[in-house]
Amino acid sequence: MKDVVIIGLKLFAICAVAALTLGGINAITEPVIIQRRAMELQQALDELTPDAQTGEAVEVPDNQVIVKRYPVSKEGQNVGMLLELAGSGYGGEMKILVRYDQDGTIRAVKLMDNSETPGLGKKAENPVYMEKFVNTGNSENPVPVRKDMLPPEQADSITGATITYLGVSKALAEGARYAAAGGD
Amino acid sequence: MFNEFTKGIFKENPIFIILLGLCPTLAVSTQVVNALGMGAGVIFVLLGSEIFVSLLKDFIPERIRIPAFIVIIASFVTIVDLVMQAYAPSLSKSLGVFVQLIVVNCIILGRAEAFASKRKLGESLLDALGMGVGFTLGLLLISAIREILGAGTITLFAVGSFDGVIRIPGLVSQPARVLALAPGALLVIGFLKALFNWLEMRKQSREAWAAEAAPAPSEGGAS
Repeated sequence: MKDVVIIGLKLFAICAVAALTLGGINAITEPVIIQRRAMELQQALDELTPDAQTGEAVEVPDNQVIVKRYPVSKEGQNVGMLLELAGSGYGGEMKILVRYDQDGTIRAVKLMDNSETPGLGKKAENPVYMEKFVNTGNSENPVPVRKDMLPPEQADSITGATITYLGVSKALAEGARYAAAGGD
Repeated sequence: MFNEFTKGIFKENPIFIILLGLCPTLAVSTQVVNALGMGAGVIFVLLGSEIFVSLLKDFIPERIRIPAFIVIIASFVTIVDLVMQAYAPSLSKSLGVFVQLIVVNCIILGRAEAFASKRKLGESLLDALGMGVGFTLGLLLISAIREILGAGTITLFAVGSFDGVIRIPGLVSQPARVLALAPGALLVIGFLKALFNWLEMRKQSREAWAAEAAPAPSEGGAS
C-alpha cells in the first residue's frame, strides 16, 4: 500500500515538472505562433485577391465544410467571396482558402495548414497543383471531383495522393455551390 | 569511453544495423532539408531524454519506468514541436505530423530503456549523441539518394537570394520519380542494407582468412 502511494507520488512529480516546463515554453512560443499565423493568413488573402479588397471574416455556423466567408469587393462592388474551407485529407483536416466569383467560378485556391504526407499529399501546397481547379465551379465547368474528369497530364499529379485530391475537390465543389447561391 | 559515441554511427547505426525508427525514415527522407530537420529534432530529444533518464534512474521506481520515460520523451518532443512551429515554420510544415511522432520513435525509447536507465550520465550523453548523429547521417544518405535521383534536386535552407534548391542538370528534367515516392524509400533502404551487410561479411571473411593463415603457416596453402 505504501509502495503504491510512493510510486504514485513520484509519477505525479515527474508529470508535474514536465507540465510546468511545457507551460513555460508554450507561454514563450504561443504569441510568436499566433503572430506568424495571422501574418500568413493576411499574405494568403492578398495573394488570392490581388485586384480586389477582402472584407471582415464572417463565421459560417452549422456547416461541415465552410468555416468562414470573406466578402470580396472591387471599387465598392461585390464581386464574389473568399471562403475558408475545411477539407478532410489523409492526415486529418486541411484548411483551404478559395476565392469564388458570384457564379461560383473558382479564381484562386491555396492550401493552408494540413497534415498531409510529406512528398505525397503535401504537394497540394504547390501553387501548380491548384491550377486544375481554376475556372471551374460554374454550370459549364463543374469542379473535377473524380480523377477521370481531369486531362491525363493533370491526372498524373495526384498519383499516390488520391485522398488528398478528393478532400480538396469535394470541399471546393461544396464551396462553389455555396458561393453560387450567394451564401446560402 | 569514446566508443559509446562512435558505435551509434557505425557498428550499431540505428537505421542500417539495429533497424530502429524506420517509419519516420521512410516518410521524411524525400528531401535533404527534411532529413536535416528531423535529424536535429531527434538528436535534441535523444539528448534531453537520455540525460534526464540517466539522472533520474535511481528516483524512478522499476514498475513505472516506462510511463515515466514516455512523459520525459513526450515533453522534449513537444518542446521541439512548439519551437519549430514558432521559429522554423516551413520546416515544421514539411515535416508535418512526423515531429509529434518522434515520441514513438523506437530509437529514443529503446535507448532510454536499454542504455540510459543503466548507465552513468557521461556515457548516456555520448550514446545519445552517437545514436542521434548516426540516425541523421543515415537519413541524410537515404534522402540524398532519393532526392538526387528521384527529383534531380538537393533542397537545403534558403539563404538570401539563394532559394535553397540545387538543381542537377540533366537529372532535374527526367528524374526517376519512383525513388521520390514511397516504394523508392523501401528500395533505397533495402539496397543500402544489402550493401552494408555485404561490407560486413567481406570484412568478417577476410578476418577469418587472416586468422586461419596466421597461426598455421606450416600447413601451406591453407586458404
